Amino acid sequence: MSSDQDLVVETVRDILSAFPPFVLTGDRRWDDGLWAALAEAGLTGVGLPESSGGSGGELADAVAIVRTLAAGAAAVPVAEHLLVAGPAVVARDLDLPAPDEPMTVAVAPGVTAHASDDGDGPGRFTLSGTAEITWAGIARHAALLTSGPAGPVLALVTLAGLSVEPAVNLAGEPRGSVVLDGVAAAGALLTPAQASELRARFALARAVQLAAALEQVLAWTVQYAGERQQFGRPLGKFQAIQMELAEMAGEVTAVTALTDAAVQAVERGSADLVLACAAAKVRAGAAVEVVARLAHQVHGAIGFTQEHKLHHLTRRLWAWRDEAGSELTWAPVLAAGLLDDGPDGLWPALTRVV
Amino acid sequence: MSSLLGLAPAPRSEAAEQVRAEVREFLAAELAGGTFTTHVDTWLSGVDPAFSRKLGERGWLGMTWPCRYGGHERSAMERYAVTEELLAAGAPVAAHWIADRQSGPNLLRYGTEEQRQSILPRIAAGECYFVIGMSEPDSGSDLASIRTRAVRNGSGDWVVNGAKVWTSNAHVSHYAITLVRTSPADPSNRHAGLSQLLVDLSLPGITVNPIRILDGGHHFNEVVFDDVVVPGDMLLGTEGDGWHQVTAELAFERSGPERFLSTYPLVAEFARRLGASPDPAGLATLGRLSARLLALRQLSLRIAAALDRGELPDIPAALVKDVGTTFEGDVIEEIRRVVEVTPSLSSPDPLARALAEAQLHAPGYTLRGGTNEILRGIVARGLGLR
Repeated sequence: MSSDQDLVVETVRDILSAFPPFVLTGDRRWDDGLWAALAEAGLTGVGLPESSGGSGGELADAVAIVRTLAAGAAAVPVAEHLLVAGPAVVARDLDLPAPDEPMTVAVAPGVTAHASDDGDGPGRFTLSGTAEITWAGIARHAALLTSGPAGPVLALVTLAGLSVEPAVNLAGEPRGSVVLDGVAAAGALLTPAQASELRARFALARAVQLAAALEQVLAWTVQYAGERQQFGRPLGKFQAIQMELAEMAGEVTAVTALTDAAVQAVERGSADLVLACAAAKVRAGAAVEVVARLAHQVHGAIGFTQEHKLHHLTRRLWAWRDEAGSELTWAPVLAAGLLDDGPDGLWPALTRVV
Repeated sequence: MSSLLGLAPAPRSEAAEQVRAEVREFLAAELAGGTFTTHVDTWLSGVDPAFSRKLGERGWLGMTWPCRYGGHERSAMERYAVTEELLAAGAPVAAHWIADRQSGPNLLRYGTEEQRQSILPRIAAGECYFVIGMSEPDSGSDLASIRTRAVRNGSGDWVVNGAKVWTSNAHVSHYAITLVRTSPADPSNRHAGLSQLLVDLSLPGITVNPIRILDGGHHFNEVVFDDVVVPGDMLLGTEGDGWHQVTAELAFERSGPERFLSTYPLVAEFARRLGASPDPAGLATLGRLSARLLALRQLSLRIAAALDRGELPDIPAALVKDVGTTFEGDVIEEIRRVVEVTPSLSSPDPLARALAEAQLHAPGYTLRGGTNEILRGIVARGLGLR
């Protein structure tokens, strides 16, 4: 991590220290105070070019922000906003909404986009259909991957004023169903490859969040095992517990290494970007079962309650692994891509992707 | 986490990709010429001195060592690329593997000038092979309990008595770096009084007895020392410092791609079986295995980069070996869940053969080089728990 990113992380941590995680409820569905503080500091524009109204900086800076907030179980749509929707909108030359207005992203195969004009580039579209949107009811804007008669369309829709059928994920984060009935939106035609990349970057955003949360869960569990005394000594002195913590460390370390590599693949515009993101999401998703299970086992009954902080991250782990495509979605994509040059091309592909 | 595996991501190495391409071309030609056939776990079972000499001629052994000792002064990243290509192809690399991986580096670190000059160039040429003389019949994971003794005689030579086991390919090797007790055991400091000796396996008094593994293969041996006189100048490093030296050696032993690629040839056969229109379950399995393998490569590359920085990443190496060898075994179960195949060493079906080889070697993956329980104990220490 560069010293720039160290500084960013320190700033985010400072802000976050005033906004501890809480149980999300219908009355308090997200942390609007935290979002306002992040926006005030310019952090909701990081990684987006200043010429588009962003704060500038690299993708790595935005990733560092998302990691820090994910480890803190922050209830803000920053992963969607900074890592997926923002870069997609900028890449397609659509007008970036003001960075202090939360923007989310959704893959919306049930929404069709019909061009309202004959423009080739950025144009106007009319959207019809139903979309499942993370942070619906919270986010002001959504970048939707829709389908049009000429191929996939990235549509930037303003959610304010649209009715939401509210729902929540396992962590209580808002996920809702939005009916679009002839809604006008700015949009751009995508090539199939660009549409794949958008899906992959969404998966990578979740992998980045998973990696950070997995690391934090390990750190909490190691700390707890060092403090909790049973039979006259700390839990961490028992070999059975040490084996479990070492197994967790192996999983966490593997996820971090692959996720970092996938972020680098995106940064350098790798031709294998989709496969790198797919691999990161599959590996991160697979680690959740082991790490969350063992973390709860070591924490004992207190970790199974809302009295203890552990659930803020384990419930997010269980939710995030199935969002933006689970292992079931991405493992076949990864395998098919690795076999692009036939079975004898598998090894060359494995050594090329990341 | 940063204290445990705070290894920076490995920089991309153009030199490594260059030599990777050369190795790939070489292996394709050798396979086409029929000089070897692909097998699982060939770094244990694939002894082929002629093949080892070819690698030596190409400059792919002793790659990171100084040129004055027959080395090539290349990076650990380049060596990493060469070794993982050889393993992925299931090439016969067992003869030289130990010497190139850990005995040579051990000599470089602790050997006398004379020991280095006489031995390292022969290792780099693919002509001189080593075994690991650590485990004993009564000392496995508890290495400090070894009882093989070496006593100075009147002429300053060492007289060695005892036995070493699981000495892979001792029957075709030239030297054993042998951990011996050179002063009586001290219950208050179990790690004191151990030393490493460079033992020529052709010396009188040495008997090599075969121990067959599950598939009937002869790789393991028991090496018995009966009043073996080892010249005094064959002490490796410092008398009494053996435990420290062994710890450094194990960092090399545990850190490489052979700790997750032993069963890669089975994965490759599985991919061939999936064929042109793979079924969804098969694809999902290959995808999950590939994601695990890609993560392990990143970890192992970080360790190679750390070696290039002059670090000795013993705790990360233990972690990667734990995760990697677990993967090696899981490959078997994942594949047989989605493909109907009966493992058989004599089958004409290459997938059935690879599965049989992988299965019968499987118990070894999580034992050799330190059991996964020992490794997890090391990781737990890295986490600050002990």
